[in-house]
Amino acid sequence: MGLLSIIRKIKRKEKEMRILMVGLDNSGKTTIVLKINGEDTSVISPTLGFNIKTIVYDKYTLNIWDVGGQRTIRSYWRNYFEQTDGLIWVVDSSDLRRLDDCKMELDNLLKEERLSGASLLIFANKQDIQGALTPSEIEKVLNLDAMDKTRHWKIIGCSAYTGEGLLEGFDWLVQDIASRIYVLD
Amino acid sequence: MEAGDRDRSRDPSSTAGEGSDSEIERKRAQMIERLSNLHQARVQSSAREKSDSAPPSESTEAFLARFSDSKREIETRIADSKTVTDAESVKSRLEQIAKSIEEMEKLVAENSYFLPSYEVRSALRSVAELRQGLEVLNSELVPKKKFSFKSKSVKKGLSLSRPVAAEGTDSEPDTAEKGRFKARESPGFRSRTGEVLVKDFKGLEVGEFTISDLEECEVRLIGRVRAIYVHRLRNCKVYAGPVLGSILIEDVEDCVFVLASHQIRIHHAKKCDFYLRVRSRPIIEDCGGVRFGPYCLEYEGIDGDLKESRLDEETGNWGNVDDFKWLRAVQSPNWSVVPEKERVGTVIIDNKMSG
Repeated sequence: MGLLSIIRKIKRKEKEMRILMVGLDNSGKTTIVLKINGEDTSVISPTLGFNIKTIVYDKYTLNIWDVGGQRTIRSYWRNYFEQTDGLIWVVDSSDLRRLDDCKMELDNLLKEERLSGASLLIFANKQDIQGALTPSEIEKVLNLDAMDKTRHWKIIGCSAYTGEGLLEGFDWLVQDIASRIYVLD
Repeated sequence: MEAGDRDRSRDPSSTAGEGSDSEIERKRAQMIERLSNLHQARVQSSAREKSDSAPPSESTEAFLARFSDSKREIETRIADSKTVTDAESVKSRLEQIAKSIEEMEKLVAENSYFLPSYEVRSALRSVAELRQGLEVLNSELVPKKKFSFKSKSVKKGLSLSRPVAAEGTDSEPDTAEKGRFKARESPGFRSRTGEVLVKDFKGLEVGEFTISDLEECEVRLIGRVRAIYVHRLRNCKVYAGPVLGSILIEDVEDCVFVLASHQIRIHHAKKCDFYLRVRSRPIIEDCGGVRFGPYCLEYEGIDGDLKESRLDEETGNWGNVDDFKWLRAVQSPNWSVVPEKERVGTVIIDNKMSG
């Protein structure tokens, strides 16, 4: 067995994906990660720093980096950009006042060259709360149509509280990354 | 040669059977073609095997050659398509180019395991550039449709985001789009001075509730709600029943809050007292002179509401404040505990407007 074929085998076996999860504070990032992993979501303190979760999803291993969204620590997001395969941007769909903030932070993030190849999933979270904007409304407010045409992206309404929409979102993200990196087999 | 062929055709084992001469000619041509195809395939596959077993450097070269070939080809096709005017053929051309670009991307992915990362990056960049080229071509060739679609979506985005930015001070003419957005704006108390504002959520399906731009007001929220957003308050008192989700407070000064929630975030608060019950740790950011004490609200039926919101237990978290501007082990100078003799004591509210 040549070295090349060994390397090939290892590469095919690992199937790891690095996923960076960011968004404003209070958008529900940590709740989403815990919910999708089937953990208790009733006591979650605002994230001071970051959490890493490794989840086996389909035949892939997802390393999810859930980074705190408070203004003070947003400047540290950049430390997590390297080698990101998938980007999850979480929006609090019921926080109408800060949607401008949300748009600005997202626009800044997408300018980042190190994230240029990453698939972008936007979770319009808190759909269970009455009065929340729908995903299509969020799409308009964030002006997602104006995004760089080469970006693979999708917006999905979800509720981290009920779990609705989470699987649909992760399914899309994993499939999209897989088709880029591993080629569907 | 001719004779030989005819001989063979007469042979009983021949598949030609008893066809006419032209039939035989046709079959012969087919067979020759098959044979030559077979040969061709063998040659190709042996060539492929060769490149497969070749050292990586050679494979990289082969990949680059193949890649740049198809890149050039697509570029030419894009350039050629610029002069096409027939709508039908434009469409099919664009589709074909898009397909070729997709194939290129697949080629990169298939070979990515052995390619140096620089090559992968630059190859992917080329793919992206081609996509952009196609995009430009697309907008040039189908300008009308594209343009109207774009301008529409941009306009929508603006009309949606404007009321969010202006919030409350909004005085622009109503469009249907905006009207719908405004109608869906969350319930709340906004822009009031010197009033007692009472809201009873019992029996109402209220999701989020907003309290903003208040001066010298007393706010009483009775019953359960999913989320509360607080923004720009001066000299106010806010008393609220349990919140199942989170409370977000920003820009408040000289206020007193009595709140119960699963999560509480406080930004830009100055000289405020917070009497809290929280399941998780409350956080402050950019705050100064804020003090904390335990929840102390009473209204008729509050025990049941707290229980239903899973906030009936005193967790003691009101004193476990995380200050995002003070990430050290020693106590943050930005907050303190309200000394017991300075606390407000039990606050009893009801839904009557008697101040």
